[in-house]
Amino acid sequence: MRLTDIALQNLRRRKMRSALLVISVMIGVASIIFLYTTTQAMKEDVANKLDQYGSNILILPDTGEAMTFGGITVEAPAQVKELDMSLIPLMKTIKNKETLATIAPKLLVNTQINGQEILLLGVDFPQELHLKKWWKLEGLSKGQLPAKNEVILGSDAARSLGLSLQQTASIKGQDFKVAAIIQPTGSVENDQAVFIDLAVLQKLANRPNAISLIETAAFCYTCPIAEVTQQLTAILPGTKVTALKSTLESRNDTIRQFNLFARSVSLILFLASSLVITMTMKSSVEERTREIGILRAIGFRKRHILQIILTEAGLLSLLGGLLGYLLGMGAAVNFGAALVKAQVHIPWQSNLLGYALGASLLIGLVASFYPAWKAARLDPTESLRYI
Amino acid sequence: MSLIKVCEVTKTYKGGDGVVEALKNVNLEIAEGEFLALMGPSGSGKSTLLSIIGGLNPPTSGKLIIDDIDVYALEPERLADFRHEYVGFVFQQYQLIPYLTALENVMLPLAITSRPGKEQREMAQTVLDKVGLGNKSNRLPNQLSGGEQNRVAIARAIVNQPALIFADEPTGSLDSKTAIELLELFQALNRDGLTIIMVTHNKENLAWVSRTVYIRDGVLEAEGGN
Repeated sequence: MRLTDIALQNLRRRKMRSALLVISVMIGVASIIFLYTTTQAMKEDVANKLDQYGSNILILPDTGEAMTFGGITVEAPAQVKELDMSLIPLMKTIKNKETLATIAPKLLVNTQINGQEILLLGVDFPQELHLKKWWKLEGLSKGQLPAKNEVILGSDAARSLGLSLQQTASIKGQDFKVAAIIQPTGSVENDQAVFIDLAVLQKLANRPNAISLIETAAFCYTCPIAEVTQQLTAILPGTKVTALKSTLESRNDTIRQFNLFARSVSLILFLASSLVITMTMKSSVEERTREIGILRAIGFRKRHILQIILTEAGLLSLLGGLLGYLLGMGAAVNFGAALVKAQVHIPWQSNLLGYALGASLLIGLVASFYPAWKAARLDPTESLRYI
Repeated sequence: MSLIKVCEVTKTYKGGDGVVEALKNVNLEIAEGEFLALMGPSGSGKSTLLSIIGGLNPPTSGKLIIDDIDVYALEPERLADFRHEYVGFVFQQYQLIPYLTALENVMLPLAITSRPGKEQREMAQTVLDKVGLGNKSNRLPNQLSGGEQNRVAIARAIVNQPALIFADEPTGSLDSKTAIELLELFQALNRDGLTIIMVTHNKENLAWVSRTVYIRDGVLEAEGGN
């Protein structure tokens, strides 16, 4: 017989109390695991969405007079200083190239359509539509791209030009069919512009290879945006590479809030579990005062009593931690994403098992230490009273 | 030669009515191999004296010397070791651990030794055989009669082969037949060389002991031999 056997036998005898402690730890650990994994998923989801919802790095010519494109300062197309298509392959050579999810070059040209001054945007449609996932296009189904002789109109541009789907607009002497109209987005650069194939516009404007700016969406959920910006600046001479701070700050704020929420709730659950363990073990020790007195009388040292009580708490906490992990992880995998409406898959994270067991063991031992210490210090004569 | 020397032992308690003097300058010597009865009315201080001699309850003043060891000069953890090595207790209400079988209860003092489990089991079974409960070793305390529980308590007290057995009113809750069986068991253990000190208020028990010490109001009154 070892001290562990005494602890195990006591646990078997006090099934209800043992179950209460296991359930308490299980609920605490399950909630923390669920909260942690779903919060991670929410963070990832938000980051993905923020990354998807537009560019977060803008590449412009380094000098020249300024013009405004939707509140973003860009170079005037009339200036000599222009970018060209050769920059795009260069961008794909930086160290963090895998973070560059979308590279959307644009050529901005002012022109007259039906007697009105209109901003023509030559875009790489596959890249542009990937970048502007929030666009609601009337006339094109999801994944469908306009042809070379087709254009997409912003909602304001369509109204002011009096054009509707499948009608033809004459641009620089060439006819283009309206393939789609963007439903109002609330941003000037989308609503007032006419989008045309980049190569076609370069040809029409007689500026082969020319581009005015490059919008880039970097998946910077984990990447250092400042480093990516520096790498692009270094590799693209004559350009000004700017990280859009507002996007980043907004994303950081959101993530910070999620983190704060998760940590606060986890702390509360940790304290609640600890309290339940302390109370359960305290009550268990009080119930066993006489038994502890017997053990002390027959020569058990204080550390033996400590060892028995802490073994009990440790074993129950480990069991609670294991069940809590299975419950929390199972709930997160099956319902987590749906519950928080995140469009990400929450994978089964077996690496969290170690943390769950470690944390539950720590809670169990710390929360039981005071009752165990009190038990160890019991005076055997007092415990056996009648002596 | 004395195995136990109780020297000028006084024990006071702070109670609601002020300081209560449970033992007053008690001097007592007990030789190795004695079967001693501590006799006295309720509240006379006999259980207090037993707990002091058993290394459970330090005196307010005075000394306890057992086998030339000044018991209460020992550090608390060494005192626990001393109890483990020298003393076996048989408590009034048997005090078995209810969730352990008879065999496991007997094995308890061995749980803090380095003896392998098999050896512990064999030793416990041997003493259970000795007290006549070898066939009930897997029963829980609540599946045993009062007399049987008392025998398990005795087996637990002797399994570690201590020099001393302290028994506090061991026959208090037994019928006369079972009480006699128990006293005969004590006598047999005493014949094997164990020193036994038994607290009792039952004069019938004195027929089995080798010496009786009377105590009243915390003072040793007289001694009687058998």
